[in-house]
Amino acid sequence: MNILGQLHFSEAAKYLAPSLLHGFGVVVEATIIGFFLATIVGIFIAIGRLFGWKPLKAFLYGLLEIVRGTPLLVQLVYIYYVMPLLINLIAGMFGYKTDVQITPLTAGIAGLAINYGCYMSEVIRAGIVSIDNGQTEAALVLGFGRYETLFRIVMPQALRGIIPSLGNYLVMMIKDTSLLAYVAVNELLLRTQTFASQTFYTIEAYTYLAIAYLILSVPLSHLVKFIEYKLSSASR
Amino acid sequence: MFNIFELGKNYGDNEVLKSITMRIDDGEVICIIGPSGSGKSTFLRCLNLLEVPTSGQIYYDGTLLDDKLDTKRLRREVGMVFQRFNLFPMFTVLKNVMYAPMHVNKMKKKEAEELARSLLAKVGLANKADAYPAQLSGGQQQRVAIARALAMQPKMLLFDEPTSALDPELVNEVLTVMRDLRKEGMSMVVVTHEMGFARDVSDRVIFMDKGYIVEEGAPVEIFNHPKEERTQQFLNRVLVGV
Repeated sequence: MNILGQLHFSEAAKYLAPSLLHGFGVVVEATIIGFFLATIVGIFIAIGRLFGWKPLKAFLYGLLEIVRGTPLLVQLVYIYYVMPLLINLIAGMFGYKTDVQITPLTAGIAGLAINYGCYMSEVIRAGIVSIDNGQTEAALVLGFGRYETLFRIVMPQALRGIIPSLGNYLVMMIKDTSLLAYVAVNELLLRTQTFASQTFYTIEAYTYLAIAYLILSVPLSHLVKFIEYKLSSASR
Repeated sequence: MFNIFELGKNYGDNEVLKSITMRIDDGEVICIIGPSGSGKSTFLRCLNLLEVPTSGQIYYDGTLLDDKLDTKRLRREVGMVFQRFNLFPMFTVLKNVMYAPMHVNKMKKKEAEELARSLLAKVGLANKADAYPAQLSGGQQQRVAIARALAMQPKMLLFDEPTSALDPELVNEVLTVMRDLRKEGMSMVVVTHEMGFARDVSDRVIFMDKGYIVEEGAPVEIFNHPKEERTQQFLNRVLVGV
């Protein structure tokens, strides 16, 4: 009754491992670029909603409602399949013949950046609001302008306070890159699916897939905890 | 330096400043005293436009302050020290002092550092240059805040209750620095509850209540022969034991 005897882990590893290694690269690339852009999107939305002009605030609020009210998977599908069609259709109505296409990875990263940017903007906004107004006043009376004060004095303190929360979003994003399989990004899940359907090593393949995600996310989440600990002990 | 006409400030229906008319001359040291809620701090904060007045005019060096004026120039020339210090916690003491000269006045790093070190020496904190604000006592933080304001080489300093957040035994080290500034001829407007300081150091004392200037004059007049009943009542209450 040896269950391992019934399975072919070493053989599956031999063929799947190189493919997963490539998948790692895709996941890391999508996460790094996606997270970087999401942070920028988040900062922009947070600042826009705090200090922007009324119509901009309303627009950003609407965007937030849409993004938070729909699943990431639907957003990815929308960006990858619908957006190019929509752009071509609208361009066509104005008499331009276009053939806009978007690569799977670009669509995937864009989806992650917008989705995570919206969620992260709320954290960033809370971080900015938590900074004592005295900091702003101190910078203003020294002759700094509004935006200089925001970017030189307030934002660095705000970001420092929310690094742990942003770190958790980073770990979540790594795992959510699996959704990119549905817009044909050749990441870990899609590679595993392909492999499993060709070889029928279904149990082995998906077990390796789970392990692959654990290898990425467990050390990272511990790193985030460590940074959180360092920051909280440094501020005392 | 300042000519103020019928200055008023409302927050909604709440009239904090009703009608303030006064002038502040070069080199003058003015202390503003009065009960809390009398509008002293709001008045001070109108002088560098941290609060935008709702009525009246402020002339600074002959220029009317309105929205179009170069607020930055005003703020470079009129520094401010806050009750709660408001040092930048992520910077060292030295960087707190040299930051604005470097980034606002575009001073070279080396010059800014020299300036900052000399100002820290002046407030008696040369040895704390590399400390972070959180490692200092309140009195030390407030002295750093004064050095930071001086680093912009202002023509005038505004003090908003600079010793109110300090433990009693730390008040004097800050007042001593302010007395030294007075000797050097720095113009100062000080909102304070330190009656001894107001009496000994200022050229003029202003007593404010309920958004008005009730009485102003030389410290001897205000403290020894107050004309208004309201001033007498206030002084009787705060001078118990002084």
